[in-house]
Amino acid sequence: MKYFGKWLIPFVAAIAVFIGMQFDSSLYAKPVGRVESVQVIKTTSHDDEDQNHDRLTKQQVKVRLLNTAKRGQSVTIHNTYSFSGGLDNQLRPGEQIFLDVDKGVYTLNNIKRDAILAALLVLTFGLIFLVMGRRAWLTSISILLNTVIFFIAVTWEIGSKQWQAWWLFVGLAVVFTILTAVFIVGFKPIAVTISLGSLLATGLAVALGYGVLTLTNYNGVHLEEVKYATQMPQLLFFAQIVIGSLGAVLDEASDISVAIFQLHDSAKERFQAGMAIGRNVMGPLISVLFMIFIADTFVESVLWIRNNNSIAQTVIWVMGLGFAQSLISAFGIVLAVPMTSGLAAFMAKIKKVAA
Amino acid sequence: MNAILALALLLLVMMLLIGGKQGLANFFALTVNALLMILVVILMASGFNPIILAVVFGLIILASTIFLSTSHVAVAGPAFVSALLIMTLLVGLIILTMTLSQTAGFGPEDSESLEGFSVYIGVSFPHILIATTLLGTLGAIAEAAIAVAAGMDEIKDQASDAGIKQMGHEIIGTALNTLFFGFFGGFSSLFIWFASLRYPFSQIINNKIFVGELLQVLISVIAVVLTVPMTTWVVTTRHAHRRKE
Repeated sequence: MKYFGKWLIPFVAAIAVFIGMQFDSSLYAKPVGRVESVQVIKTTSHDDEDQNHDRLTKQQVKVRLLNTAKRGQSVTIHNTYSFSGGLDNQLRPGEQIFLDVDKGVYTLNNIKRDAILAALLVLTFGLIFLVMGRRAWLTSISILLNTVIFFIAVTWEIGSKQWQAWWLFVGLAVVFTILTAVFIVGFKPIAVTISLGSLLATGLAVALGYGVLTLTNYNGVHLEEVKYATQMPQLLFFAQIVIGSLGAVLDEASDISVAIFQLHDSAKERFQAGMAIGRNVMGPLISVLFMIFIADTFVESVLWIRNNNSIAQTVIWVMGLGFAQSLISAFGIVLAVPMTSGLAAFMAKIKKVAA
Repeated sequence: MNAILALALLLLVMMLLIGGKQGLANFFALTVNALLMILVVILMASGFNPIILAVVFGLIILASTIFLSTSHVAVAGPAFVSALLIMTLLVGLIILTMTLSQTAGFGPEDSESLEGFSVYIGVSFPHILIATTLLGTLGAIAEAAIAVAAGMDEIKDQASDAGIKQMGHEIIGTALNTLFFGFFGGFSSLFIWFASLRYPFSQIINNKIFVGELLQVLISVIAVVLTVPMTTWVVTTRHAHRRKE
């Protein structure tokens, strides 16, 4: 029972945080309200040009204000939602929302999502600490540091020129790599093998990807579809690949290096052992990134097909970017195997000469 | 020549050179998964329930990833069983989280790319989101399950509780990096968007797209963290049963 009970702790903590965050509305300047009751006013069916049948529902919502000077008062708002819910939301009793107010008239601004986010963060880190014990500290600090550096870099990038942005992302990749490698193995020569192997593999992968794309004239890759990229879509396309694949490449490089540094054999044996380990881990690692990149394109793909675009067109325009990015990331994961094994073997040779 | 085809061919060559037969099997698994994912999108768009599709195709994708990644049945069998158990647990958590967070569909930042599209498409975006989240985590679940099962198979009889634990910690530690950076890559353009428009912190933590993406990362991390003890448990139970016979 005691064994089973400990698994409940993170879940209970997450629920407690979720409930606690229902009372944080005084921290917001924007009016926050809780949905008290909803009433459906009317339902209409909606058909678009492509014969998609949808249903629009108008609801009258009683909201109790939780902050500002009007705290405690009730207001009534109207909200229309669709069955598909692409840009709208059905409001449910108990839910908290942000409101806009204009001359005393309140309208829905946004759903309040901080509580569920905090609850899931607590659940995630609770489970990490439960399973990993003291080692969780190192991992958490490494993730936190990388996040902070990322935020600073991104804020700094604003307004800079394209070539500066390129160097910024390269610098970011180098800092991420070295920092993460040091957190995995500590300040040891092995950290050099891991970071150098990862950086060389990722760099070569991007160079190869860039070469292939340039040679084929980006045929079938539509950079204008890179999401949220108002400027420099090409830069963001490659930056996403570099940062996105770095974690997987680092993992692989550290798996290989840690395993073969324990072998005090010849350089050749080290190289072969490294290749054997790499061969086993590269496939699953590629599929991790692959599923992330492709699943990311689902929502837009379905939208495209339902808007009367052909399947071929959708696959090329929407999923194409995801495919290209996961393929170039896969280059890095494959190349890291010989590079890290080679570097580790080389280090063994140097050591022997020195001794 | 089509750029994606060229990239895929180059990857095939590299995987063959470095991985040999195993590399070929891995490449085959990727191709199968790519086709399955396209099929899922087509079926979703034709009106099949996205959640049911995700569960059914999730099973197939897990099977192809795990059984084509390792030829060792002693590794693939338990890895597959524990991946399935985790997937079942996860469906509940995902449905709960995504219902409470209301992050399905598109955010205000998407308006430019939605120009000329009708969003009233008669397919439930909340259901697509649940399906996407589930399928997006499967790669990570499969990877962790294989790593634990393979590690335990290697150390077999000399396995001590402390040794298994140590190995589990290492697998989670590295998987966290993969996931964290993997999603961070996708985040980068959104972050630049937020930074250039100077979104306040209070707005970011309630933003539909940001919260939606971060919740997906966290669910993947939870999946991996739970996969490790689950696989350990499946392998140990299997061994205990074998010994009894």
